[in-house]
Amino acid sequence: MNAFEYAGPTSPELAVKAIGRSGAAFLSGGTDLLNRMKDYVATPSRVVYINDIKPLAGVHASGGAMSIGAATKLAAIVHDKTIEAHLPALHRATAEVGTPQLRHMATIGGNLLQRPRCWYYRNGFGLLGMKDGKSLVRTGDNRYHAIFLTDGDALFVNPSSIAAPLIALGAEATLLGPKGERTIAVEKLYQVPKSAADSELTIAADELLTKVTIPRIRGKNATYEIRQKRAYDWPIVLASAALELDGSKVTSAKIILAGVAPIPWRSEEAEAAIVGKELTTESAEAAGAAAVSKAKPLSMNAYKVTLAKVAVKRALLTIAGKKYWEEA
Amino acid sequence: MASWPQNPKLIGGRIPRLDGLGKASGKTKYPSDVRPDGTLFGVLLTSPVPYAKIKSIDASAAAKMPGVKAIHLVVEAGGTLHYQGETIGGVAAETEEKARDAVRAIKVEYEILPHVATEEQAMAPGAPQIMNGGNVRKGREVANPKVDEAYRAADFKLDSTYSIPVITHVCLESHGLTVRWDNDDHMTVWASTQNVGGVSGELAGAFQIPATNVHTMTEVMGGGFGSKFGADVWGVIAGHLSKKAGGKPVRMFLDRSQEHLTGGNRPSGTAHIQMGATKDGMLTAMIAETHGTGGSSRGANFPLPYVYFVPNAKRSHSDVYVNGGDARAMRAPGHPQGCALMEAAMDDIAAMIGIDPLDFRIKNLPPKDFRTPIYLQELELGAKAIGWKEKWKPRGQNGSGTIKRGLGLGLHQWGGGGTTDKQVSCTINPDGSVEVKSATQDLGTGTRTILAIITAEVLGLKTTDIKSNIGDSLFPPGQPSGGSTTAPSMSPPAYNAALQARDAFLAKIAPALAAEAQQLSLADGQVLIDGQPKISWKDACRKLGMGSVSVTAGALPGLSSNGVGGCQFAEAEVDVETGVVKLKKIVAVQDSGLIIDMLTWESQVYGGVIGGINPALFEERVMDPGSGLMLNADMEMYKLAGASDIPEIVVIPLDTPEMRARGVIGVGEPPTISTAAAIRNAVSNAIGVPVNKWPMTPMNVLDALAAAKQGKA
Repeated sequence: MNAFEYAGPTSPELAVKAIGRSGAAFLSGGTDLLNRMKDYVATPSRVVYINDIKPLAGVHASGGAMSIGAATKLAAIVHDKTIEAHLPALHRATAEVGTPQLRHMATIGGNLLQRPRCWYYRNGFGLLGMKDGKSLVRTGDNRYHAIFLTDGDALFVNPSSIAAPLIALGAEATLLGPKGERTIAVEKLYQVPKSAADSELTIAADELLTKVTIPRIRGKNATYEIRQKRAYDWPIVLASAALELDGSKVTSAKIILAGVAPIPWRSEEAEAAIVGKELTTESAEAAGAAAVSKAKPLSMNAYKVTLAKVAVKRALLTIAGKKYWEEA
Repeated sequence: MASWPQNPKLIGGRIPRLDGLGKASGKTKYPSDVRPDGTLFGVLLTSPVPYAKIKSIDASAAAKMPGVKAIHLVVEAGGTLHYQGETIGGVAAETEEKARDAVRAIKVEYEILPHVATEEQAMAPGAPQIMNGGNVRKGREVANPKVDEAYRAADFKLDSTYSIPVITHVCLESHGLTVRWDNDDHMTVWASTQNVGGVSGELAGAFQIPATNVHTMTEVMGGGFGSKFGADVWGVIAGHLSKKAGGKPVRMFLDRSQEHLTGGNRPSGTAHIQMGATKDGMLTAMIAETHGTGGSSRGANFPLPYVYFVPNAKRSHSDVYVNGGDARAMRAPGHPQGCALMEAAMDDIAAMIGIDPLDFRIKNLPPKDFRTPIYLQELELGAKAIGWKEKWKPRGQNGSGTIKRGLGLGLHQWGGGGTTDKQVSCTINPDGSVEVKSATQDLGTGTRTILAIITAEVLGLKTTDIKSNIGDSLFPPGQPSGGSTTAPSMSPPAYNAALQARDAFLAKIAPALAAEAQQLSLADGQVLIDGQPKISWKDACRKLGMGSVSVTAGALPGLSSNGVGGCQFAEAEVDVETGVVKLKKIVAVQDSGLIIDMLTWESQVYGGVIGGINPALFEERVMDPGSGLMLNADMEMYKLAGASDIPEIVVIPLDTPEMRARGVIGVGEPPTISTAAAIRNAVSNAIGVPVNKWPMTPMNVLDALAAAKQGKA
């Protein structure tokens, strides 16, 4: 780890002021940044600690909408009864992050803005995993990499399992910068980098994510995560679905996948397949198949196409209360 | 021939380990916790590239950095580095952070050489050759002349390829030691080692001083599994750094990434197996072409055929050299690979024949082997505990839903005998305290406790009355802890020393009790005369006056033995849509002669099974062909089971009068051997399709299902 300056501002505005220079980084729970610093993947010259800024933490409900401060610990989200009751997609995804220790340190803002876990990136080959102008990922070990947008150079997957339910729920992110506040849809936090110099995050270096806001939810929602281990593991694929229903007929759908593309992946194909249909095992199966109809896996990860299909199906059937995979 | 007590009070009981509380409470200091006054922190400089010549190396800037006290390099300009993580040198500084910064400030210019990081790369035609004599070294073929004919004539012919990848040791405490020069020719060393004597010997050799001048201590240690037998190159570097820093202690432990890259690993194994059997389930032939990699310089052989009687066999094995970290012994070296590959083929051919795989194994046990009757007893116990009769169904018949349940099993074998040249001293003091000493060490296996149990048994005391002092190279010569040899090597001399100390003690106090020595005996903390309690142990010891009784003794014949069997059964649930495997239960049945402490013995078996679950489901060193680096040299993507991944584990000792009569046999290695085989077979049984690549990940399971579907279509 390189030596760095340290600032501990007491308000969001002071935090933005303190970050106002190149090479600085916000530090919240530290479960990602510190590891990148120890591995010299990140070498910030200044670290701005935001975990003591009280207004940044906490879950607030008002008029059916829900606002979650960016520095809210994941454990606090897991323990929130309103979230558990009304936003099971968010609750489930949050409860499965890391370990109890990690959930007591990590924050929702940090989860949304963590950098990719791609092992080429973490071994120093940049976001695109390039060496001598060639992609190491495409010819290398890409078992955990993307199955969508694989014609491009960015083959890592977005690592946030919380972005998927938030996007499915129509959440917005509030960003505070030197020129004031702006609010964008959560999906707009992410972009596909076009070159090694690009970031996969749209947030400016001097902007602070202050909160996410989830509008009043009328329908039902669920997340299904496929992971290898039960203890401390990343999802291989995760799907979140938010549906509005008229009886058992789906009137609107938002279906987001994590672990399949360099951005949280909205599956319009799956949405189109389920809207207007009764929510049944068959229609969920068809939506799953539609979700992967345009998947283009890499050399090692065809299995993830199967997983994406199953994750979508199971997220939908969780909403339908048909957890057939728990029968044994 | 000596024999163990017929009706022991302690031996075979469930006795908590003496150092348990200290370890659990954090009071006990592990070697990596030790910080003698003035400790400097060592950090190792290792190769960041897979294969390169060093063009130049310049440590002058690093040497001038604040807090840096010494630098020592072991590779010079012109030297070659063969894998990422190979040691180049080390720095000692006032803090670990300063040492890390200084290591990064050493300027090394590399001439990059074309690498081969995977076996596929190394074996490819036209591959760059990294070894004199080539990347592939084929061993001598061992063949029965009739094997090809026997295979051709077989009723059922299996032809499959199986592979299990390289895994790393991942000791909880990383490799390392702290070294201090006490004067020009004496060193004190606190090492995390399986061999205190070996560490002293290696350092003494490196610095040309007598081994007796190197005092190595390992009070406890955090796991070695075969990878911690010497001072290692980083230990010698620490010695040089300490010398250059005026003798100050230098602490040098590998970091977590170096632990994966530099600290050793278990070789991979791949086998193309052709196996023949008759309609009624008798093996007739086995042809196995195998290879594996032990890194850039080590071999990768494993036993095959394994356990079963194969009338006609042919085996050829090739070691493949890659630019990857070198292998070291890992718990039952070679056996888990041989067992996994053999047992997979056994299950697959049993499925072809349509025979119950348990019956198939019983039929093919070697008829004249001493282990066969042991296996038969163990299989009966294990089958009962897992519910084989009620639950086992042929492949493809394990449920119609998405969750399939399956059963599998595997058999294994090991030596586990000891040496006869080790010693233990036993001292009885006038204050009643008793101390045993030996230069062996406790890897966490319970060695300290079993020496105390044996001593207490003989002296009629409690285990906690005995001070069991091991892990010190200046004590009488003790066993290096490898190959499950510690208990069988150390129990006999501990027993002998206690017997001799007892006899000397009774002879000494007999006059004070107005009795003849042969009238005296010891039990329940009392000295007995003609079987009647006469005086307490403490009071009796006071009669020693100013002199202690101290005896150093070697082994007696007949107290230990060699050669064990063992079998494991697994029950697994597999989600055939996701390929996710959930273990329900493992049953481990194990013999190991006379069990001294049932509690620490069971712990060994639990640990072995858990150690086997990891390569079964999770573990794999992932090497990148493009960069030549290990992609998962961390604790995030190098996957290991957490508590919630561990199923119910049922441990069953084969603890019979016949087994006890064999004397002590080690149990460290055997219980980890067949776990990965049993789990693979349970998974394949569940899903109805053989999975031929370990670990049983969603990728490998789904790929196997997809391949089977394609084959059918």
